[in-house]
This record gives sequence, C-alpha cells and structure tokens, in this order.
Amino acid sequence: VEKHFEIYIKTTPERLWDAITDEEQRRKYNFGVGARSDWTVGSRVEGIHSASPTPITEGENLEVDPPRRLVQSFHALWGEDVAAEGFSRVTWEIEPIGDSCRLRVIHDQLREGANEELYGGWMMILSGLKTYLETGEELTTPGSLMYAESGL
Amino acid sequence: MDEVFKALADPTRRSLLDELFREDGQTLSALEQRIPMSRFGVMKHLRVLESAGLVVTRKSGREKLHFLNPVPIQLIHERWVSKYAAPWASSLTDLKHDLEEG
Repeated sequence: VEKHFEIYIKTTPERLWDAITDEEQRRKYNFGVGARSDWTVGSRVEGIHSASPTPITEGENLEVDPPRRLVQSFHALWGEDVAAEGFSRVTWEIEPIGDSCRLRVIHDQLREGANEELYGGWMMILSGLKTYLETGEELTTPGSLMYAESGL
Repeated sequence: MDEVFKALADPTRRSLLDELFREDGQTLSALEQRIPMSRFGVMKHLRVLESAGLVVTRKSGREKLHFLNPVPIQLIHERWVSKYAAPWASSLTDLKHDLEEG
C-alpha cells in the first residue's frame, strides 16, 4: 500500500529541507518527535521524544539529496502493534514552484491493511510544518498537544 | 481553499474520493468501472479534484495512478475545527496529569 500527502508551503527548498532534517525544528510540528541523524546515505535516523528513554521510530537514510529528495526506511517503535508491522518506506520530495515549494511525502511499502497509526499522522505533521514555516508559530492540533505535553 | 470547496460540492467527485479512500492508487480505467459515467466525464472530474489538490498522481509505466490527498481537508479542519478542539485537548491533558499525580 502506498499513501501520498502533498502540501504547498511558501518557503525555499533550503528552509524546508532544514525544517525536516533539523532535530529541534522537526520536534515543533512532529508530535514532539525530533529526527536525529547525520543525514548521510546508509546512516541511521531515530525519532527522539523527550518523554521516552528510547527512540520511538527508527530507520535508515536510503537517498539523501538536499534540498530536493530524501528517502528513508521507517520502523515505528511507539507500540507493540505498530512495531510488529516492520519496516516501510518514506520519501520526501521537494519541488520549488514560484515563491513556494510543493512537498510530497510518499509512505509506501506498507502491507495491505497496515495499521493506520503508521501513516495517519502525516496530514497533521504537514499542516503543522506549513504553519511553522509560514508564520513561525506552532500548531496545536489535539494530537500534537497530547503527545507533546503529556508524553507517551 | 475555494477550489477545495468547489471540488467537494459535486456528488460524483465525492464518490471518486470515496473510491480512492477504499482503494488508493487506482488508474483511470479502474475508476471508470466504479462510476456510472463516461471515461471523459470521469477524467474531467479527476482534473477538478487534482487542481484542488485533493487527488495527486504518479506515473507507473504507461498508467497514471490516482491517490487521495487528505491534506487540503486537514487545512480546513485546522482553520475552524481544531480551534475548538485544542483547549479541550489541553484540559484533557491537565486532567491526565491531575489523575496521575493525585
């Protein structure tokens, strides 16, 4: 199964790339989870949340082409049921269009009937990313609030 | 945002979104089987959905696959609905803290 999430954000590809790959910026719109990696091909990427002593996601950088394309394997670790789903793949594509960027996140290599928790948060993450880059503010969706403030 | 509302204002286009929600990544030919309408009609509706950002496509060989993009609807949700839900969620969070501490 393959899921597509697309959004237009008024920013530059470089700023967008930074917001995706900088641990602290990422935390602001990603349910309080920062992405920690050295962003080289073959390196590990971990999702770090302050309330969890261990990473809540893990993966490997398969393609790193700043500021246009990032492909990663993805393994959710925030619960036994999602962890049992194993690895899937997340592709970030950035395309400059006029004074904006089109960002598409493709989450694929999901099994048929995969747990919706695996990909159900992308639309909130992307709209939070848009708000963060366009206004500098943090979006307070119920999901992000609950995860960011009360921990896991 | 006007384009999103216009796209959603038509029952056939909503059926197309329902169909993609049921099974994402379908071709035009597959969608045509599902909707009682000519190929041209379905194409026209898909184009409206695409320009509103509700459907995104990817080429796969000679075929074009259509995917439901829920993000524009999320943006509408953020604009109106989540403003009501945020204080509610944070009071739930407070309640959880109180219960855990008490």
